[in-house]
Amino acid sequence: MLKDLTLGQYYPEESPIHRLDPRVKLAGTLVFIITLFFGQSVWLYLGAFLYLLIVIRLSRVPLRYIVRGLKTIVVLILLSALFNLFLTPGDILVKLGPLTITTQGLVTAIFMVVRLIFLIMGSSILTLTTTPNQLTDGMERGLSWLKIFRVPVHEIAMMMTIALRFIPILVDETDKIIKAQKARGADFESGNIMQRARAMIPILVPLFISAFRRANDLAMAMEARCYHGSEGRTRMKPLVYTKNDRLAYLGLALYFALMLAIFITLGSRVI
Amino acid sequence: MPIVSAQNLSFSYELRDEEGNVAEHIDALKGVNLDILAGSFVTILGANGSGKSTFAKQLNALLVPTGGTVFVDGMNTADESHLLDVRKTAGMVFQNPDNQMIASNVEEEIAFGPENLGVEPDDIWRRVDMALAAVGMNAYRKTSPNKLSGGQKQRIAIAGIVAMEPKCIVLDEPTAMLDPGGRREVIRTLHELNEKRHVTIILITHYMEEVVDADYCFVMHQGELVMSGTPREIFSDVETMRRLSLDVPQVTEVAYELQQAGVPLPDGILTSEELTKALTAVRDGGDPAAAVEGCRRAK
Repeated sequence: MLKDLTLGQYYPEESPIHRLDPRVKLAGTLVFIITLFFGQSVWLYLGAFLYLLIVIRLSRVPLRYIVRGLKTIVVLILLSALFNLFLTPGDILVKLGPLTITTQGLVTAIFMVVRLIFLIMGSSILTLTTTPNQLTDGMERGLSWLKIFRVPVHEIAMMMTIALRFIPILVDETDKIIKAQKARGADFESGNIMQRARAMIPILVPLFISAFRRANDLAMAMEARCYHGSEGRTRMKPLVYTKNDRLAYLGLALYFALMLAIFITLGSRVI
Repeated sequence: MPIVSAQNLSFSYELRDEEGNVAEHIDALKGVNLDILAGSFVTILGANGSGKSTFAKQLNALLVPTGGTVFVDGMNTADESHLLDVRKTAGMVFQNPDNQMIASNVEEEIAFGPENLGVEPDDIWRRVDMALAAVGMNAYRKTSPNKLSGGQKQRIAIAGIVAMEPKCIVLDEPTAMLDPGGRREVIRTLHELNEKRHVTIILITHYMEEVVDADYCFVMHQGELVMSGTPREIFSDVETMRRLSLDVPQVTEVAYELQQAGVPLPDGILTSEELTKALTAVRDGGDPAAAVEGCRRAK
């Protein structure tokens, strides 16, 4: 059962969005998220909606894959909608016993729901069209300017790469340990939450020990292969911008300029 | 000039007690002297705790001697300024294939070494192609290492080293976790590398069958080098091998037992073919030693 677990949710397809440089896609996601927080205006959200629609169309990822990502946060969306609906002060619209709904609350709640849905859909597009490897690669090179602030970008990217490689191995190992403990009569299925949590200890302890042993072995193997950090390191597949990437950046800049213009002209007006 | 030369090499671990004080020194290597010729296929044999893995790590400067010196291609491994060059010259493959892979697909895994060396991208591609061909794994270049068998994983680990174009590959029990099929695959690959690309192979093992085809063999026991010679010379001395709690190949053992029982067989029979020829000669009243000799020469 644990074997079916996969990280990320890459949807293989040969679309223009899939072929884009991961740095472009990272920048695109970031810009999209920023514009979502510009303010509460129908026009702003219409712009974001159009942008999202175009990108989804270009990516050729079926809509249901993108919507599936929303399922996990339905509760969160509902909760924030309810809180905004009932707890925003303003002109009273409806009164239901101790609860009041205000016009402002209704507007905020609607915008909040739309914003969260757009947020999740926008970032799902990134993970659906980019393999985890490309993503770490893009982060390493797209964020290398963070080194100025002493952020160890290369090291973080390397850790992510290694984590991705070792997740299936450790999952397998967990499976084995569970079976081994069951064979010795361990009981994971009965008892209350506390008892079940305690039953996890004989799984976690051997798992941690083995993970540390593997880490030690891996560190040695990496050193033996001349690994010495990012300095003087070259890449087999260096990221090079193509014409499409430049076009995408241009489109992105246009989108950002447009949203900024709307934001400035409309100010805090809703419509 | 030998590619690897150990001179009076000693190494000791410190065992610390709970307060962090040195409680005990454990001598893993005690004054080892040996030379390994460039282009040869050498095996190092030894029981658990004989110091053979510690020796292997000395060749890659993962450990540096606490006494004596190790030269790899003329470079002193204790000299920090040669660290990368030493590691580039003597590549190292470890026991557990899972714990030495970094990337999520085969070609990126093989590229890891050359990337660390700062090789240009075009040259990395060439080296990856070359290394994949050298281990016969061309068909798997886009595969995830998790989907490969143990023997295939270990061949990829070897390819990862081959791509760094080392003069010498040190393998620390590379077949210990493999099934017989995987073991054969790996050993065949190593012999091909040795013959076609003239890479010096230093194979550390405790499987006697892997030793038979080597050019030279060293036997270690409790941190000391106790025997050295061709596999035939080593296995002729069945009694010493037993005393060191090491096996000899099954065929050699059968021949030895027959010899003890009074059958006039020569020493150092290594293959079942040789044993068959010798026994046929004994039955037909011929000279078994000459029969074995003829068999060796035919090879």
